[in-house]
Amino acid sequence: MSRTAGETNRKKMHSYYDYSLLFLTLFLVCFGLVMIYSTSSYNAQRVYGNATHYLERQALFGGAGILIMLLVSKIDYRLMITKLAVIKIKPVTLLYFLCIILQIYVLIFGDVINGAKRWINMGALGRFQPSELTKIAVIVFTAYIVNLAPRKLDRFRGFLRVVLFIAPLLGLIVIENFSTALVVGVIMVAICFVASKKKFYFIISGLLMAGIGSMLIFFVSYRSTRIDVWLNVETHEKGYQILQGLYAIASGGIFGKGLGESMQKLGFIPESHNDMIFSVICEELGLFGAVALILLFILLIWRIFIIAINAPDLFGGLIATGVLAHIATQVLINIAVVTNSIPSTGIPLPFISYGGSSVMVLLFEMGIVLSVSNQIKAER
Amino acid sequence: MARNRTYNKKNILVVVSVVILAAIALTGRLGYLMIAKSEDYAARAKQLHERERAIKAERGSIYDRNGVEIATNKPVCTISVIHSQITDPEQVIRVLSDLLGLSEERVRKRVEKVSSIERVKSNVDKEIADKIREYDLNGVMVDEDYKRYYPYGSLASKVIGFTGSDNQGIIGLEVKYEESLKGIDGTILTLTTAYGVEIPNAAEDRIEPQPGNDLHLSLDVNIQKYAEQAAKKVMQAKSADNVKLIVMNPQNGELYAMVNVPEFDLNNPYTLIDEIVKEHEGEQITSEKMNELLNGMWRNACISDTYEPGSAFKIVTATAALEEKVVELDDTFHCPGYKRVEDRIIRCHKAGGHGTQTFVEGIRNSCNPVFMEIGARVGVERMYYYFDKMGLFDKTGVDLPGEANSIMHKKDIIKAVELATMSFGQSFQITPLQLLVASSAAVNGGKLVTPHFGVEIKAPDGRTVKTLKYDTEEGAVSKETSDIMNELLESVISDGTGKRAYLPGFKIGGKTATSEKLPRRTGRYISSFIGFAPADNPQVMAIVLIDEPVGIYYGGTIAAPVVAELFDNILPYMGIEERYTEEELQKFNVGTFQVPNFVGKTKKEVKDLLKVYEFGEIYSPGEGETVMEQFPLPGETVEKESDLILYYN
Repeated sequence: MSRTAGETNRKKMHSYYDYSLLFLTLFLVCFGLVMIYSTSSYNAQRVYGNATHYLERQALFGGAGILIMLLVSKIDYRLMITKLAVIKIKPVTLLYFLCIILQIYVLIFGDVINGAKRWINMGALGRFQPSELTKIAVIVFTAYIVNLAPRKLDRFRGFLRVVLFIAPLLGLIVIENFSTALVVGVIMVAICFVASKKKFYFIISGLLMAGIGSMLIFFVSYRSTRIDVWLNVETHEKGYQILQGLYAIASGGIFGKGLGESMQKLGFIPESHNDMIFSVICEELGLFGAVALILLFILLIWRIFIIAINAPDLFGGLIATGVLAHIATQVLINIAVVTNSIPSTGIPLPFISYGGSSVMVLLFEMGIVLSVSNQIKAER
Repeated sequence: MARNRTYNKKNILVVVSVVILAAIALTGRLGYLMIAKSEDYAARAKQLHERERAIKAERGSIYDRNGVEIATNKPVCTISVIHSQITDPEQVIRVLSDLLGLSEERVRKRVEKVSSIERVKSNVDKEIADKIREYDLNGVMVDEDYKRYYPYGSLASKVIGFTGSDNQGIIGLEVKYEESLKGIDGTILTLTTAYGVEIPNAAEDRIEPQPGNDLHLSLDVNIQKYAEQAAKKVMQAKSADNVKLIVMNPQNGELYAMVNVPEFDLNNPYTLIDEIVKEHEGEQITSEKMNELLNGMWRNACISDTYEPGSAFKIVTATAALEEKVVELDDTFHCPGYKRVEDRIIRCHKAGGHGTQTFVEGIRNSCNPVFMEIGARVGVERMYYYFDKMGLFDKTGVDLPGEANSIMHKKDIIKAVELATMSFGQSFQITPLQLLVASSAAVNGGKLVTPHFGVEIKAPDGRTVKTLKYDTEEGAVSKETSDIMNELLESVISDGTGKRAYLPGFKIGGKTATSEKLPRRTGRYISSFIGFAPADNPQVMAIVLIDEPVGIYYGGTIAAPVVAELFDNILPYMGIEERYTEEELQKFNVGTFQVPNFVGKTKKEVKDLLKVYEFGEIYSPGEGETVMEQFPLPGETVEKESDLILYYN
């Protein structure tokens, strides 16, 4: 009994690490690989003569992403708002400006795919989508700004201040990519919402946003077409992709056709390994599999929620909230689009859909959340 | 660093709750789609995935009266490659170019082409296709199909007809009996990808095709062959344009043969026959011209072309006169070589005239003035009445497509001249088949039959589906008149213009004809002959038309022997036995005797023996002096004038 209080403390309190979250993440990534192989093998064989073309690339990025996640999770997230030794700049500021530069770069020099200028060609590594990186920047930077003076958020002006900081990033994205801008906006609002004590202005500004949003939708022609498609999916000529997705979902029934047995992936759903992958999951694994996957996402979100409320400080809590908002928004919007519950917009299903930038950024974010969890001191 | 306050945590809980609520709502939506809408959407999706592919029904075969197959199906295969499924392209190229006899380069082009499916060769024989199948190459598809096949090639080509690319009848019986022959196509429902590529091993819904019914004809392959042989022979000998020959059972209208030489190859119906090619040598044949030539080649002139029947039509005139009782057999007529009708002089074929003759002699001589006279006695009104009764105003109703009808004067414009020319078969046109049917009514006891080929339609399992029935009009001609006509027409052969159709042992009746083609005086004739046997109970009747013979063109000289040759072959075949009259037995030295024993006899002894017996040709192979073996064997009964073979050692 000669131990000091400090020693006792050190003995009882130890660094927490959320393994359930880690394994949930790994499971989702692996499940994603399986589904990417299932959905893409036919098209990969047809186009590239190699059934595992997409699988290989995704596995490469997934593997790299997992390594980055593990690395990041072992670094204290607070390092991001600590001035670096030599250049006297905080990494978060650096990230902020890097994103702005990349966003400007992509608008001028970016590759155009399917009519949108969103990609930077990285040669052998494929293409990189800077808007994905921006998501990390927005999460961390918003949390940083809010954390500087959390009480300001109680007023609308404080919220505006945050919006002003984020506006350059948001503005640069919305030019080419409305759906990503939507996700980024939701992340920002979610963080502010969590930080604020007063909620009234959120309701007002929410209404205001809805007004502006619908203006944007109805006055930009291609978006109003989407509304038409959404309402008349079975008859509208441009509803093909969504309708094919619905066919896939519906023909899955309760137990599905079995893994690999989808018919709709055989060219009926274009690029079924991308945004529409959930419809093939429904077709192959049925309502059962789909609900199981949704439950996995809920579980993931729940773990992030636990970390967010137990975070050692507001900054950590807000970062976790941002990641939570990011994943939740993408899951909900993706499923809503695939089931034609909302007008179509291109948002990938986190961890599952094909896309190197997307999966790496998500894993980086999970790394940050795990890092937050690692700073929780728990009693044994 | 700011603290993570309680209200912050509550706020996060609010966010998470919103997320969970939204997730529950979406799960509800999923449940709605995957349970309530499942059937509807799944069915619609299935419709997208399924491709219907027709399985051709096997077309029914066509058989002759003895069950000999004359139109059937040959299994053929189509070889295709599916690019995405090929695992060993080099082997595929090697095997296919080897077995299909195609150049490697050509096969390589097909194999290496990136497409869903590429046809390499169609109409491949089944044996070759089976060999390819044995290799079990990935990505090589062997599809079975049927192709119409005619084992006898050109036999009765214009009667049987052929089928087109979809296996549908184009001409002839193949068209007429299309509904019975074609069967009902089946379908295979296969699953395909969005690019139309079939998914192997996917469950298929299959509706079996129902094969077509078989058609049994009255046509006899052997009689048809004999007829074609005889027709071809005379066509070549007389350098004729074409020769038509129809053989019918006058009692019931069953057609045994219908020949239109030159015939064409039913297995290559789109290839012009040599005769036509020669005629158009050096000409530029446009596709329009080609069509015209092909249609001409396929035309069944026996039923589609009309002609002036000429003297053969005197059968009808005589029948009408006898029915009308305006002439007696021993009525006498005088022929000075012409007859004046109103202001016209119409000549007889014999320049000096036949002098005074009875009606019977008038028929034997085929004397035009006699028939002008009796035609005038019958009169227009009654003549047309008998024409109608003998079916000359209607199509015969033969079960072939494209039958033509007669071209007759309108009754009210017929004057004496027209009536006179009509009496000996000029100034109107009928088809050869119409004349054959009218003539058969004159000799078969008075029945107007419907000529036909189709007898029975049978299911593939042999069950009779339908026995085809045809109208027969009794009493078109009275029995008495018919009997008289039999005798009269037999005497034409035994003592008249038709004597070249005489066959010892058979009673043959008939009538010759020589028709000058229009316009007159161009030296183009149709020589024809209509004959039947046995005259006292006609079992078979034939008409032959030789179109534009070169040189001698008299029907009695060149057409009658064709029917004689045909009858000589087919009467024994049909089981109609020779019945020689005493006179014939002597004249033609017919009878039988027993073959003596030659074995062991020397050449000298043989010579003496042969003086007694009436052998035909004697063959004696071998060098020796005594007979070792003989054929026929000793004691056998043979006909006189049979050949004898003696082997000397």
